[in-house]
Amino acid sequence: MNNLDQLFIVSLSGLAIVIIIGLFLPRQATWLAKLSPLLYVGQLLLLIKMASLVYIDAGSASEIQSSFHLHLLGEPLQWRFDALSWFFAIITVVAALFAALFMSGVWGEDYRKKTSANAYTMLHLGLLLNVNSMLLLLASGDFISLFIGWEFVSWASFFMMVLNPQKVARQAAMKYLMYAMTGAMALLAAMAYIYDISGSLQYDIVRLSMSHLSSEQIIPLVILFVVGFAIKMGVIPFHLWQAVAYAETPAPGAIFMGAISARMGLYAIIVVLFQLISMDNFAYIHIPYTFWNVQSVLAWIGALTTIIPTYIALKQNDARHLLAWHGVGQGGYMLLGLVIADNVGSAGGLLHVFNHATYQAALFMTVAAVMYRTGTSNFDKLGGLVSQMPLTFMVMVFSIIGLAGLPPMNGFVSKWMVYRSLLLDGQPLLFVAAVIGTLGTILSVYKLVHNTFLGQLRVEHQEIKEAPLTMLIPMLLLALIIFVTGVMPGLILDWIVPVQAAIGLPPLDYHLGGIILPTGGLDMIWLTLILFYGFAVGAVIFYLIGGRAKHVHQYDNYAGGHFLTAKVRYHYSHNFYAGLMHLIGGWYRGSFVRLEKAIVSLVSFLSQLAENFYRANQPTMLVVAVVVMAIWGIAVGRFG
Amino acid sequence: MNSLTHSLTDLSTVLVDLLFMPLIAFFVGLLMVLMMRKLSARLQRRIGPPFFQPIYDIVKLYSKSTQVSHGLIHEIGIVVAVGGYIASEILLPVPGMDGIADKGGIITLSYFLMIPSLGMALGVGQCANPNGSIGISRALTAMLAYDIPFIIVVFGVATHYQSTSLIGMIDYQQAHQWGIFEMPLLAAAGLFALQGMMGKQPFEIYVAPAEIATGPMVEMSGKFMGGLFVMQSFQFYTAGVLYTSLFLGGGNNWPEFLLKIFLVVSIPMTMAFLFPRYRTEDMVRVMWKWPVMVALIGIAFVM
Repeated sequence: MNNLDQLFIVSLSGLAIVIIIGLFLPRQATWLAKLSPLLYVGQLLLLIKMASLVYIDAGSASEIQSSFHLHLLGEPLQWRFDALSWFFAIITVVAALFAALFMSGVWGEDYRKKTSANAYTMLHLGLLLNVNSMLLLLASGDFISLFIGWEFVSWASFFMMVLNPQKVARQAAMKYLMYAMTGAMALLAAMAYIYDISGSLQYDIVRLSMSHLSSEQIIPLVILFVVGFAIKMGVIPFHLWQAVAYAETPAPGAIFMGAISARMGLYAIIVVLFQLISMDNFAYIHIPYTFWNVQSVLAWIGALTTIIPTYIALKQNDARHLLAWHGVGQGGYMLLGLVIADNVGSAGGLLHVFNHATYQAALFMTVAAVMYRTGTSNFDKLGGLVSQMPLTFMVMVFSIIGLAGLPPMNGFVSKWMVYRSLLLDGQPLLFVAAVIGTLGTILSVYKLVHNTFLGQLRVEHQEIKEAPLTMLIPMLLLALIIFVTGVMPGLILDWIVPVQAAIGLPPLDYHLGGIILPTGGLDMIWLTLILFYGFAVGAVIFYLIGGRAKHVHQYDNYAGGHFLTAKVRYHYSHNFYAGLMHLIGGWYRGSFVRLEKAIVSLVSFLSQLAENFYRANQPTMLVVAVVVMAIWGIAVGRFG
Repeated sequence: MNSLTHSLTDLSTVLVDLLFMPLIAFFVGLLMVLMMRKLSARLQRRIGPPFFQPIYDIVKLYSKSTQVSHGLIHEIGIVVAVGGYIASEILLPVPGMDGIADKGGIITLSYFLMIPSLGMALGVGQCANPNGSIGISRALTAMLAYDIPFIIVVFGVATHYQSTSLIGMIDYQQAHQWGIFEMPLLAAAGLFALQGMMGKQPFEIYVAPAEIATGPMVEMSGKFMGGLFVMQSFQFYTAGVLYTSLFLGGGNNWPEFLLKIFLVVSIPMTMAFLFPRYRTEDMVRVMWKWPVMVALIGIAFVM
């Protein structure tokens, strides 16, 4: 039994423990909740034992095969881990560990009181199910096991989403289910097509037959696969389901799913487009009747995914929804970076998967902490919390710097790599699109931090305390990771370069502090040192020179001669970017929402039609059928 | 042994750069502030302030007895605003000093220059004054406006020089020709973006220097205001040096270099007094139209 088998056993036995205790020993459930992070620690340790997949020695294998096998319809099913699976798996397990840590403390107690012990166990079950199914998907070694894993992941996500009994969450979950079904059908069709072409669903055989396909064969295949997987990732034009569904999930679910869940789509895209077909071919496959090739279309899908959801996020008035929309938007950078398929861009896209997981989890935690203390995440009901929750504020600032992609946090490094490769590749419009996305993110995250933590503190929040320790510890740890991996990206690039090798991309030249390039690289250690030197000099200038500053109350403020009291709301938060919206407000036409509605109407119309047909008067139908057949027969006899 | 001495010399060079690059930037920036005031005075047929006026102003602001702080973030905001620029100066090569310009090129610098804005935004945010917050909302919108043409210019320039390193760009120009002659359209678009970046008329609504009480500076008193004053002088210097490095071939020696950077910043400063003010959305509209169009055509020439 090797480490991969042990990983599955540990992961499944965790599930069994939770189910047994939830069903038969409900009194022990509180203990289980406290110890639940241990379940993920076990999986993490096993993953660390498998680290030879990325820290490659002379003798280490590039794959670990599970000893578990199945045969289905004459096709062998197998599960295995390579560097790519390991990279995604470690992010998954660490994200789950942090989510479990977060909910094992005060948050979980509170949730249990507000709902029920049963609901709380269900939440643990949901998290475990998600991790299990993701590991299953990441380990898939052929198309059938991929499809099985894919379906498990979809249903596990659905399970997590419906844990929130509110109507808006249930509706979002149902919507997700419809999208997921569509994706699964597309995937199934693609698999049927592949089977038709290559006569097998084994990766090795498929890979061989892919190399001599014509572009007329490849384009429909790519469309089917990309539709299937892009739905999970929330890529344009399938971006509508994700944000609401993730945002309305209970906090640990939002933390976990926001961090990694949607990236399973990216993983599958990498497996099919890079490992099986190889991205190099796509630059030569032209879309008929256009100047485009498959690669540039994919790159533009990525670029539009960075822009459109980001500017939708800018308009949100609820912290969770704003973050979830950014989650959709950041997926665009990953896709864009990967599709460029050079060593810098693809490493940037992969690195962004890790970076995004860290700051997105931290951000959802800060919002959950604010919700725990204030009961809301609505921007119109918050403000000024920095004086009450300074550490939570600090974590949020670290994370938004990461999300916005400013130095010295980790998001900067991965975005820098994407920009740099667009520059090297000579793609001005994609470059500008990526920067437009980043600028929109900066605007939006400032709105997030301003409307929650800055500005005027409301009267009802004046007694609020800092978030409890069990919430602060995972948050602060994540903030530390965001900073350290920003200063020393080499730590994570150690994992990325073997992944690049595993998916057939040229490896990146890097060192602990950044990237080595002959025409201008990046060294984050130096840059961070200089930045902090600047801050230190700035602090010396500010604090050691000049008079002493006097701290005043927030009502001791300039108000054009009026006196401010607790009754006066003196806070600017609603419609924060009024000037900008005056200009671009008209561009939010909701075209995609209308398209979605149109498709929904069309489908329901067709199903109604089919239903009416089925219920119609039988003799009439018989007469119609006979007449049609007769006319057809005559026509064939006469002209055939 | 040899490598040790080598690295020690390297270290001492960097330490000298760390000390002198920001210091030079500060004093040159103060001179630029003086130049701006003199220019405006001459254009309005006044004499203008005496030579040491910028220094007097800073001393006055720092030594005021009323220094109102709205909390730690308010103070840290000023520290970050000034510190971010100090760090950026070390990334900008000047004659005889490269600082750490080889550790991060023009893309890094563009993002370093957003850190002071973010610091100031956080600081102003904690003041709990809606006028300040509106100012920040306008400032960030303005950043969205001028950064798009600016980033297109950066792309074109980096593509043309085949490098993102400022040192590499300057070397190229000194070996061949100044960028402004090889890429006149990009240079023009860059100058346009510079007008917005420096917050000069007609794009000064987000600074609102004429009506402090209703802009981002509403709660800034004493050394808080002094810090922003220092930041402004760094900002002028940065704009001048950046443009000179991209388009005017950097500098072989200090007199030539100073001449170029003063010339660069004098253009937006002079233009400023010819225009009234644009509203925020009008600024976005004009920035996304003309300089973007010119810069895209410019890129078409260098590709």
